[in-house]
Amino acid sequence: MGGRKRKRHDMTFSERMLKIDRRIIFLVIGLCTLLPLLYPVGLPIRISPEVRSIYDYMESLPEGSVFLLSIDFDPASKPELHPQAIALLRHAFRKNLRVVAMTLWVSGTGMADQLLTQVAQEMGKENGKDYVFLGWSPGGAAVIINMGQNLYSAFPSDYGGKSTKGLPVLEGVSSLKDVTYAISLGAGNPGVEAWYVYGKDKYKFELGGGCTGVMAPGLYPLLRSGQLNGLIGGLRGAAEYESLVGRKGRAVAGMDAQSATHLAIIVLVAICNVFYFSLRHQQGRSRESR
Amino acid sequence: MCSIFRFGTSKAEVGNHGNAGMVGMDANVLGAWMATGLTLFIFSFLFKDNPLFKLAEHLYVGVSVGYTIVKTCDSVVVHLIYKPIVEHGEIALLIPVAIGLLMLTRYVPKATWMSRYAFAFIVGLGSGLAIPRTISSFILKQIEDTIRPLLSMTGGDGLTFSMSLLDPASNLNAIIVLVGVSSVLFYFFFSIEHSGPGRMVARTGIVFLMIAFGAAFGYTVMARMSLLIGRLTDLIEFSDASYGYPTWWLLILTIGALVVLSRRGSESPSQP
Repeated sequence: MGGRKRKRHDMTFSERMLKIDRRIIFLVIGLCTLLPLLYPVGLPIRISPEVRSIYDYMESLPEGSVFLLSIDFDPASKPELHPQAIALLRHAFRKNLRVVAMTLWVSGTGMADQLLTQVAQEMGKENGKDYVFLGWSPGGAAVIINMGQNLYSAFPSDYGGKSTKGLPVLEGVSSLKDVTYAISLGAGNPGVEAWYVYGKDKYKFELGGGCTGVMAPGLYPLLRSGQLNGLIGGLRGAAEYESLVGRKGRAVAGMDAQSATHLAIIVLVAICNVFYFSLRHQQGRSRESR
Repeated sequence: MCSIFRFGTSKAEVGNHGNAGMVGMDANVLGAWMATGLTLFIFSFLFKDNPLFKLAEHLYVGVSVGYTIVKTCDSVVVHLIYKPIVEHGEIALLIPVAIGLLMLTRYVPKATWMSRYAFAFIVGLGSGLAIPRTISSFILKQIEDTIRPLLSMTGGDGLTFSMSLLDPASNLNAIIVLVGVSSVLFYFFFSIEHSGPGRMVARTGIVFLMIAFGAAFGYTVMARMSLLIGRLTDLIEFSDASYGYPTWWLLILTIGALVVLSRRGSESPSQP
């Protein structure tokens, strides 16, 4: 113990900083997140072209168009994708689009039903007439192909057990070919890519995507090539869409905290590098003196 | 996990269930207490590994698996098999049911061979569906996008060159994409030695790879911070009187438990 103490005492400031208890760093990050949530600053949010293009496309849709929202995530990705889903649903209901929601993730069914019901009630929409939640069907990407051939064989009944045939919201809709615009909010596979590969590429409907921050860099090539008409990436994308819709929610509230933590991480990385190079310089000098 | 228990209910909704001062143990309040407790137990791992973290971790895995099994059984067995066959007489559904049941023969040593037919069907069908569509979507479409013209023809102006880095369709970006794709492909081409001019091309490829990794890492940090923001937002919301201050009470409980566990750990006799 005494040896350990002496060793710490012999350490230079740079060495001590580089061997700092990582719990101190956790605390710094925690405080940088918590304080802006408690005392928001309201930093401006710039709208990116990929998010605006989804908003503009939704705006251009005529009333009564069929909007399919595939909620392909589970509660593990809720902080990033839930605000995106809420903002998109508010926009769709405000535009009086016919909303057809579903999920390819069995673990997300309860959450998807809850969020759809919550937004529909808030906007005064009626289940079966203005919107329907189809629930989950087994098969992953194969469900998309099945829906492309016959929507009613993929989902004979909605989440509540009501037969999908004869629902007013699905009037004139027999397959994915009748969908005007589809958006997949994906946290993995099956998700946005599956909807492009098995859906849009085959059945030729317009497709937008929403995804977690981790997935966004992998989806940008699809955006540039026009395979997706827009992309909402992570909490940042959700905040941009909330700003466009004009209903600021959890995503906008989290943006100050996001900026503060990013700044803290940049500062920590910079400080760490300063100490690292200072230590290398000291070690070089001590070797030369020997 | 929160939404499985319908935890994400707003304060206003909870307020509708009763007086703010009197906390009724309805599902929303119970949900708030459970969500807060499990979040704090998981966060306690940041201090050090402890039984509270293990409890929350095991609950998460157990509840997720249980929920998935129940939902799958209800959706598949009840709604897609039992009801259509029994109530609507769709006998043709017995064929996929039989193929599915063949998979279970893996648990019967003498009949294991029968499961191969089911796997062969699934692998064959899956490959047949995936291969052409994946080639079309990810290879052909992406190659098409990579080999965009480096100069554009616009109306009567003839050939033009657009310089905007912010426009994905600009000619400058087309050149950057072309240089990036070529140099990265060359970097992964190991049949010739990376020396002389080849070394410079390979180095350029490394630079593009590093930029891609940096962008991916930056987005990953953003995503992880978003998850932290989500949990802290809930903790702030659940620190309200309408829920019975679960954040404060459970924070005290968690810190107290960690202190006790640390003391016990330091007091326990060391192994000889």
